[in-house]
Amino acid sequence: MTSRLRSFAPLAPVVGFVALFAVVPTALLVALGVASGGATGVADALSDPLNERALENSLVQGALSAFAAVAVGYPVGVLLGRFDWRGRGLVRAVLTVPFLLPTIVVVLGVQDLVGPDAPLVRWSPSLGWLGVGVPGIVLVNVLFNLPLVALLTAVGAESASRPLEESLATLGATPAQRFRWVWGPPSWVGAAAGGLLTFLFSALAFAAPLLLCGPRCYTLEGRIWSLVQRLLAPGEAAVLAGVMVALLLLPAVGYFLLVSRLRSAPAALDRRARRIPWRSPALWPVVAVSVLAVAGVTAVLASILARAAAASTPGGPPGSAWSYLFGPSATASAGIATGGAIANSLVFAGVASGLALLLGILAGFGRDGRARRALRVYLFVPLLVSPVVLAFGLATFWRPALGGAADVWVLILLGQATLALPFTLQSLDVALASLGRHHRESAQSLGASPFLAYLEAELPRVRPALVTAALFAFALGLGEFTATYFLATPSFTTVPLELYHFAAARAPGVANALAGLLVLLSLAAFLVIQRGGNRALL
Amino acid sequence: MPSSDGLVVRDVGVSWAGRPVLRDVSLAIAPGEFVTLMGPNGSGKSTLLRAIAGFEPLDRGSVELAGRDLADVPVHRRGIGFLFQEPSLLPRRTVWENVAFGPEVQGRPEPEIAGRVHAALGLLRLEGLRDRRSEALSGGERQRVALARTLAARPTLVLLDEPFASVDPELRTELRAEFRDVLRSQGISVLHVTHDREEGLFLGDRVLLLHAGRIVQSGPPDDVFRRPRTSEVARFLGYNVFPEGHGHVAVHPNDLLVGAPASDTRSATVLASGPVGGAWVAYLDATDGERCEARSTSGPLPAAGAVVGVRWARSIPLEP
Repeated sequence: MTSRLRSFAPLAPVVGFVALFAVVPTALLVALGVASGGATGVADALSDPLNERALENSLVQGALSAFAAVAVGYPVGVLLGRFDWRGRGLVRAVLTVPFLLPTIVVVLGVQDLVGPDAPLVRWSPSLGWLGVGVPGIVLVNVLFNLPLVALLTAVGAESASRPLEESLATLGATPAQRFRWVWGPPSWVGAAAGGLLTFLFSALAFAAPLLLCGPRCYTLEGRIWSLVQRLLAPGEAAVLAGVMVALLLLPAVGYFLLVSRLRSAPAALDRRARRIPWRSPALWPVVAVSVLAVAGVTAVLASILARAAAASTPGGPPGSAWSYLFGPSATASAGIATGGAIANSLVFAGVASGLALLLGILAGFGRDGRARRALRVYLFVPLLVSPVVLAFGLATFWRPALGGAADVWVLILLGQATLALPFTLQSLDVALASLGRHHRESAQSLGASPFLAYLEAELPRVRPALVTAALFAFALGLGEFTATYFLATPSFTTVPLELYHFAAARAPGVANALAGLLVLLSLAAFLVIQRGGNRALL
Repeated sequence: MPSSDGLVVRDVGVSWAGRPVLRDVSLAIAPGEFVTLMGPNGSGKSTLLRAIAGFEPLDRGSVELAGRDLADVPVHRRGIGFLFQEPSLLPRRTVWENVAFGPEVQGRPEPEIAGRVHAALGLLRLEGLRDRRSEALSGGERQRVALARTLAARPTLVLLDEPFASVDPELRTELRAEFRDVLRSQGISVLHVTHDREEGLFLGDRVLLLHAGRIVQSGPPDDVFRRPRTSEVARFLGYNVFPEGHGHVAVHPNDLLVGAPASDTRSATVLASGPVGGAWVAYLDATDGERCEARSTSGPLPAAGAVVGVRWARSIPLEP
């Protein structure tokens, strides 16, 4: 083996993993769908009014959510990235929490706050439209994606050259001109990247349309799930999976290009505090929107926790939902004890995050060299594959190979690890890129092989990013609902699935208690993640 | 402090996170005067410049320019030019466009902008580069374009924050002289920060020495160099400082005599010794713990490890 080939050897497992569990199953799925129905089948699938509506829902909900998330997230990102102020870390932390929560929990939080039975809506019925239908879905999407837009905007604003801005100020450039020439463009790049990612996630939203609106609001994701699980029409679903990949391709490429631009900008080296110019009227709307955003997120979180603390069974005293949750009736209803669901969640999230971290570490080795860009694009393919399509592909091609339903847990692990992989890669990539090459080159000059130099000289220096990446993957696994819902059998039910079971079974007290439990678990992971700063999500 | 039509800084204090960086700094610069501000790293030089420009809020004190208090004047309306160590030119713009930026944002009419840019480019011999993009310029060219850009904005005062620090030594000497001549020819007041004592003494009509956030000495370069007042100033200017009597004295390396130990000498150990240019230099560790330097043009100094006696031909008493 030549030394060049040997240097690529550590990348083989991660390249193979993405190929085996994301690229090939999805490609085969689409090919099979097209082949089984032929041209007529494809034409029928594309002209089906329900499928057309799902496509339209994906586009409309994705676009509305992206615009709304940018409108709210951009001012927040400006405040986070441009200025130093007391409580900045706390605000950043509070805003990050919803992204780490299962979407189903955010859905319940929105319902608790502005749903038909919410105290706020009983007090002011005119607010009732906010918590149902498309507005409710968009609200959930905005809450979920707000941190992405805000933090990416902050990274863009932080990367603007401070000496250039100060030079232009001394030449007579007004604050508006400095915005236009210096820090506006990189912050727009960040916001646009966040908007595209919001579009990606919202166009394939599953839980929010399912719980807040029903089939008429299904995105392609919900429609594919419905076709496979309810209508037993996998061929038509496979055609739609192809449509979804095509739909996501353009925004995914756009996101990738924008993030590459952001990453190529140097992190701010000038750590001198920059105070908020409170007297500038131009800043007041920015502060007002940010206060509303933080208040909204805090209200949703507080509402979930408050409802969870007092959750009751019908006719029971406050708190009775908790004893029900851990009693035999809940087990009989959900098909699994709550303790078992918690154990499943922890094991799946733990193993999947370990696997994603391991793959991320191997991929980090390949960040230099000519093939770097191509490799990075390739490893982000899982972003293009929605959770339902991924689960559909895994179930179609890997379940038979693994021996049937008994090995569902393997598929869940693979699904969660694949979905977490792009985010693990992001966290590690940013930290490794900030190291430069000299640590590795110094170790190599002492005789270490490139891979050993990477392991010994570079990885120990990015330990905080490793912890962040692992916990980020853990939190995503813990909250993963869509793919797990597609794959799981009762004995492999996780907490989000149990939560959905009780929410769908009209047992809001028990669902609220479970939502509170998930919030607490996610909060614990997030408290560590937030040490990674704005770039942890980049 | 006398009133001035130039810059007047009165009792300025600045702190970062409660830690004082500048303490009651006062200074005045007359119109057209070139003043250099020197001091070791961390002494507060750049912070003082940033406070004058309006980038750092003042805890106390005031800054006046041409008789106007700048307390409520934003950075972009102060009429103060600022050159940083790294010339921050607008990317993807030509030299002409960079130099025209100041008059453009000030809303000057087109013919005036063209006139100012022509004049600034002419002063710094940049006409041949007018259509070149900023990315295609060398370090020295970029710094000259940055000065041309500053001049085209017609500032009352120019602040130079170590603008030659990242330029090659050979080019640095040329740029120093060029910058000084151009700025003097325009009659602009200049406050130039440097930690390079040779540069500071060469350029300034007057020098200010800053130590731990306070101005500890000021005066014409030659006076300051010949009569350092405190041990901090003496050390910064390259003198050896020795305890003598109840105080300290400054001894220039040329005045430090190295020979055999004797009753009227101080004992020292040679740490390193060798020729530098036309002189012989030795670094010594005196028994009282002072590190010192000796220079000789009359012959080699003892080799490393030798125990020697040192005395001095001339010393300057320092204030306690």
